[in-house]
Amino acid sequence: MSEVLKHPAQLGSPNLDTSGWSVRSYLPAALPVAGALLMLLLRIQMGGEHFINDGALMMLALAGYIIGGVFLLVNLYAPSGMSQKIGLWAGGLGVFCNLSSWLVRWVASHDRELAILQNNGYGAGQMPWLWRYIPFANLYDLSLAFAFGAGVTTMLVSGRKSFRFIGAMSLPLASLVLILARFIGNEFINLPPVLDSYWRPIHVGTASLSYGIALVCFASAVLYLLKAGTKPESMAIWACLFALGVFSTIGRFGVFTSGVYTASTFMQGSRMALPLRVNIPWVGLLIILAALLFVAAAALFLSNRTKNDEKMRRLGHHFLKATLVVQALAIVLLVAQIKNGAPLAACPASGGFNQRCYETAQYMKVGEWLASQQGLSVEEVKALTPTQLTGAAEEFVKARNSQLTLSTNANPVELSALITVFAATLFVNIFGFKTEKLRAALPSAEKLDSLMYKTASVAFAGLAILLITGAIWANESWGRYWGWDSKETGAFVAWLTYGGFLHARIARGLTGKRSAYFAIVAFLLVIFTYLGVSYLIPGLHSYA
Amino acid sequence: MSAIEETKTEIGVKSVAAGARPAASFVTKTLDLLSSVRFGVTLLMFVVVLSMIGMLIMQKNVEGFEKYFADMTPASRMLWGTLGFFDVYHAWYFNLLLLVLSLNIVLASIDRFPKAWTFVSKPKLDASEKWLRGQECHDALTLEADSRESATRRVTEACKSVGLKPRVTEKAGKTFVFAQRGTWNRLGAYAVHVALLTIFLGGFMTRMFDQNGQMPLRPGMKSNEMSDSVFNVGDGGLELSKATIPLPFEVECTDIQQKLIKQEGGIDAGNTIDWFTKIKIKDPQRGTTEAFVHLNNPFDYHGYRFFQASFINVGRARNVTLRLTREADGYQTDVTIPRDGTVKLSDGTRLDFVNFQPDFTMANGEAATASGEYNNPAAIINVTDAGGAQKRTFAFTRELPSGAPVGRAVGGYKFRIVGFEKVPDAHVLSIQKDPGATVFYIGSAMLIATLISVFFFSHRRVWALVEERGAGNYWVVLGGNANRNAVAFEEKFKRLVAILSGEQVGNADASEVQP
Repeated sequence: MSEVLKHPAQLGSPNLDTSGWSVRSYLPAALPVAGALLMLLLRIQMGGEHFINDGALMMLALAGYIIGGVFLLVNLYAPSGMSQKIGLWAGGLGVFCNLSSWLVRWVASHDRELAILQNNGYGAGQMPWLWRYIPFANLYDLSLAFAFGAGVTTMLVSGRKSFRFIGAMSLPLASLVLILARFIGNEFINLPPVLDSYWRPIHVGTASLSYGIALVCFASAVLYLLKAGTKPESMAIWACLFALGVFSTIGRFGVFTSGVYTASTFMQGSRMALPLRVNIPWVGLLIILAALLFVAAAALFLSNRTKNDEKMRRLGHHFLKATLVVQALAIVLLVAQIKNGAPLAACPASGGFNQRCYETAQYMKVGEWLASQQGLSVEEVKALTPTQLTGAAEEFVKARNSQLTLSTNANPVELSALITVFAATLFVNIFGFKTEKLRAALPSAEKLDSLMYKTASVAFAGLAILLITGAIWANESWGRYWGWDSKETGAFVAWLTYGGFLHARIARGLTGKRSAYFAIVAFLLVIFTYLGVSYLIPGLHSYA
Repeated sequence: MSAIEETKTEIGVKSVAAGARPAASFVTKTLDLLSSVRFGVTLLMFVVVLSMIGMLIMQKNVEGFEKYFADMTPASRMLWGTLGFFDVYHAWYFNLLLLVLSLNIVLASIDRFPKAWTFVSKPKLDASEKWLRGQECHDALTLEADSRESATRRVTEACKSVGLKPRVTEKAGKTFVFAQRGTWNRLGAYAVHVALLTIFLGGFMTRMFDQNGQMPLRPGMKSNEMSDSVFNVGDGGLELSKATIPLPFEVECTDIQQKLIKQEGGIDAGNTIDWFTKIKIKDPQRGTTEAFVHLNNPFDYHGYRFFQASFINVGRARNVTLRLTREADGYQTDVTIPRDGTVKLSDGTRLDFVNFQPDFTMANGEAATASGEYNNPAAIINVTDAGGAQKRTFAFTRELPSGAPVGRAVGGYKFRIVGFEKVPDAHVLSIQKDPGATVFYIGSAMLIATLISVFFFSHRRVWALVEERGAGNYWVVLGGNANRNAVAFEEKFKRLVAILSGEQVGNADASEVQP
């Protein structure tokens, strides 16, 4: 802003408006959307048999986002028009595939149920309306739409030249969302009847778009902090805390205590994860090693804050790189062993921790789960003896042993959390590499702040609409507009935190970096609402 | 950005003034605290923390609380119970927090509103050259014109063409043009707060006057009360208290129906498209009203709303089709009888459809069901022959051997089920009377409208100082700012200058787009 119009002589120059919003500046977002709508028409015209399916389109979108993110990141270190162009095109193609996937899924979902209903003697007049099939039925659909929200916001913001850097941060984040979606799996489900309302697309659509905008806001807040002088070392300390949180909770809180990572099992044919987990050799040990390296790096950085010892700092960065490598190894090993289709067996009495097998000590839990599956009440389950429970579990597991499988779909949140920790570590490493050069390549703090403020405002308004449409829908179907259900509360809390951000900017002593912390916390709360509430906390929104 | 900068200066001025005051009284200090934005942000964070506690510790009204409570250690039960964490959103301290927050919103708004109002009541009409050059956007140029009036007119025309409304004033021999747009945007934040307070008021009214309850209904059932069950965490552990709430009318169920996806599947929610409930509301004052309630489609009746809430998952039949075989000659005919209905055959025999058991079994000599699923469906039929003699019989889906006692002909006929429409034992309607909902809806509409008006528009101002520099040359200094979306304003300002200097605008469509 400061450089504006200091020299009236420049006034007539032809590139006068290039930094502003013009019709052309909407193209990066509008073209993919228009293209995806075209795909929808094509899919309707051609039918499902010879058309690319939604799963494949989703993987293409993932590829687009990753490539886009990489090229835009490279562009920050080695600015070149070419890599920026490739990055934006890849990101745009990602958005196109992402939305196409979602739209194709809409049609496919309709086709699927139409076939079932016709087989059951429903006539044309009794067919449910088309809105029923809008892909907002479970967390997979929502993740797909969330990633689209993030992607399209990135493209919209990239319409302005000075904001084109944002994809370097937001596209990798959007890819994480799609990776989660990939792990959840794209099977169609019968829509729970309570969701069959026109409020669903309104409510969930608002959710996915505002979550996407919140993601871009988070990306700009992180870059703002970097620009405003927050050291990558401090970010590493926070990333370390995040990593420890994830590492200690996965595998049923058992990695640090037992040294073993266990993966959830599926019963073939059903998509319900059993409370029987399988030891994955070496992965637990690698995770512990990664955690130790991370803690060592964080400890060195922490002491460096007071002593300012360059050697320590450098050593810390070495540890930071080492933990990244170890984490990558752990993830590769884990996925490889999950994908390995070899049959599963019970562990031997001792020494099973480095074998791909399940511990029989879990039978008690499996037994309780079986009993509750059979409709027994809490008291009735309590009344059963441990021998009864383990006996029933053993019998069950033995009878179905051949059907037990491992799957990346069995525990999407754990896998995605591991990958998210990896991504956080990667970014801290990237930020630590030639930090000053990166800082110089980023636009001014004011510009970053203005982007953060703008996206936070829109996210705030979006979350308000989300809360209100949710309240109206709740009042239409449950008979109350507000019940402190965990998902409601989660969205409310995230909204309040964005409110905190907006007010912090005008409050004494809370401006600058401090207000940016609000934007970061708010997005973490959005993610908590989006995932934590669905997977960890019981409530009325348990389907998504 | 300018809004923030202006506010920053405002706060700076305020704090200086506060420092200058020798000794503020306790009341003043309290009021200062209650009306400060910083305090408001702190309160917000308290609400966030308490809400997180409510999310992480299961609340007593959530399904599954019983199991959760049973699995807890006595120590944590006591600790959370004493702190009110099992019902944190209704704890006294949570209410107090919301009250103080409301007070803060009111006071902070009152504190800041007069400053915002001056943008409307006393707009800044003139500006010094130095001040203009200190603005985010500024520029200066020379215009050739016959007179100062015509030079000024060119400035006002240019302002109009970029959508700003100009006003011209003269002061100390200089001409000032002040042009602006979207002044009301300065007041938007206060409107947002009014909307929020309206929502809070609605919530408070709901809390005070809301009536809520459940009513299980199967065809033929009548009721004039609803029941409401609440868990209470008492000294003796968990207590379930049930309250009945009388209604000023009677509800009679005439029909229930469940629309399934797969006919051969069960009546679980996963195989369901919708549940239909038909009722009659018999009101001593207003007469009888017929109503149709289904999922996501409540029925409104004079302040009461009827919702399809849940169903009792025991399979029954909405109607049953029986194949009758006359014992005498083997003649077969099919009859369909609705639930609790009656059919008269041509020979005078009357069939009453008494009951339906999905998983037939005998318990204490009575027909009963072993489960809620359609494992062994049986219809219980009373057969009254032309002579008036009544006998009970059971019809099954499978052919029974003629030797079996249940397979014997009754009233001259043998019965077999050839079809039936699946329906649950009963539907549960929830009934609600909530005068707060309307207030909440009004507040919500206001909130959406005001938020959009705040964040998607801005207050844009431009000042121009016109001075004569001899021989038909006029020196124009321009400056301007916007309280939001500075980049878009910058574009507008550039375009204004370009129009004034008479040059072609490179990208004409640029400034038409309002992000």
